[in-house]
Amino acid sequence: MNLKPFEYVEATSLDDALKALDAYGDEARIVAGGTVVVPLMKMRMVQPEALVSLTRVEGLADVRGDGERITIGALATHRAVSTSPLVRDRLPLLAEACGRVASPVIRSMGTIGGNLCYGESASDPPSAMLVLGARVHVRGPEEERVVPVEDFFVGYYETAIGEGEILTHVEVPLQPEGARWRYLKWTPRAREDKPLVGLAVLLDVEDGTCREARMAVGGVADRPVLLAGASAALSGATLDDAAIADAAEVAADEVDPVDDLQASAGYRRDMLRVWVRRVLDQLRA
Amino acid sequence: MRKTIGLEVNGRREEVEIESHWTLVQLLRDGLQMLGTEEGCGEGSCGSCTVTVDGELVRSCLYLAIRAEGRSVLTVEGLARDGELDPVQRAFVEHGAVQCGFCTPGFLMSTKALLRDHADPTDDEIREYLSGNFCRCGGYTLILAAVRDAAGGSATGGAAAEG
Repeated sequence: MNLKPFEYVEATSLDDALKALDAYGDEARIVAGGTVVVPLMKMRMVQPEALVSLTRVEGLADVRGDGERITIGALATHRAVSTSPLVRDRLPLLAEACGRVASPVIRSMGTIGGNLCYGESASDPPSAMLVLGARVHVRGPEEERVVPVEDFFVGYYETAIGEGEILTHVEVPLQPEGARWRYLKWTPRAREDKPLVGLAVLLDVEDGTCREARMAVGGVADRPVLLAGASAALSGATLDDAAIADAAEVAADEVDPVDDLQASAGYRRDMLRVWVRRVLDQLRA
Repeated sequence: MRKTIGLEVNGRREEVEIESHWTLVQLLRDGLQMLGTEEGCGEGSCGSCTVTVDGELVRSCLYLAIRAEGRSVLTVEGLARDGELDPVQRAFVEHGAVQCGFCTPGFLMSTKALLRDHADPTDDEIREYLSGNFCRCGGYTLILAAVRDAAGGSATGGAAAEG
């Protein structure tokens, strides 16, 4: 299966890339790792006139920390993020989620920026980003803007990125030290599949009481979603059977599950309820 | 649009004429007539076309050929040295971990990456690294045995000597 011809624009700076996007308008797509746009082009689902490559733009793949947050360049691969000593130490939840994406080959090609811009619900990094309160930096022709990740996913494969804009980096506040966390990936068939439930949980627990909870899930709804109701229900509660069952019930009620060939909406809702309960039960100990 | 690019393939400097919309597997097979790398699904699922670029595993059916300009590519043809098979290749032969053989180049490249990252891999790590490679003959049991053996043999030789 071969690609149809297209113009290839090798940007060497962000300004270059922005100019190319401006020139081609809707007919251009950004390419980084190529794990999304190339197969879509081969399947003739998208046929851009031009691909604007960011792979030779200096500094876009950097991962840096400053004591309060870690900044991850859009071109950092899932492998680079999941194996970065800095990320593993200060954002272990994100390292774990990035290390569960597909298979090692895809992780060493696909980038964090590409992952977020794809707007795929059934993916691992977004729910971790939601729980950690990441902020997405986007450059347009006129200005740079910052989008909180909970406002970034706006629908089924839809994000807040506008035409002519480029995601440059993500800023992720450090995971609170001592917080309990888990990324749970439930796949119905093989391990390299996309998650049917990709559940990220971060809990601040003291003396058996959950002071604050943040939970998010990918693969269930049309986009990765923060489980705001379940998180609120658990915050301030004693971590006992009743509170855990209640949070699982609230989570199952607050999502609007997708119904497709992978699974029915009812099954997705049931599996979310089960996994929220099991994960919280594990984190209680 | 035709374009000539320079790159390194298996340690050798190459100049090759490509179309700007080619993928790396087209560069290898059609541009350089190197037929060791196989294209299976062509959409990044099956792993037959796995090679490395600057040491990182890639699916050559998804990697645009033009991106390889100035970079260093390693394919299955680059594993043997001076006519001697790589220990991973030897283990596959010894275990008969090949049925039709179409997926084998991809499995070999993923196994090399596994052993680069984990000199003494657990079964779980082996399965993880090979999870992106499909064998449609279903010959996984012998492949796993070959990889375990290759790992034992290359992990400083200590495990095999002690075992």
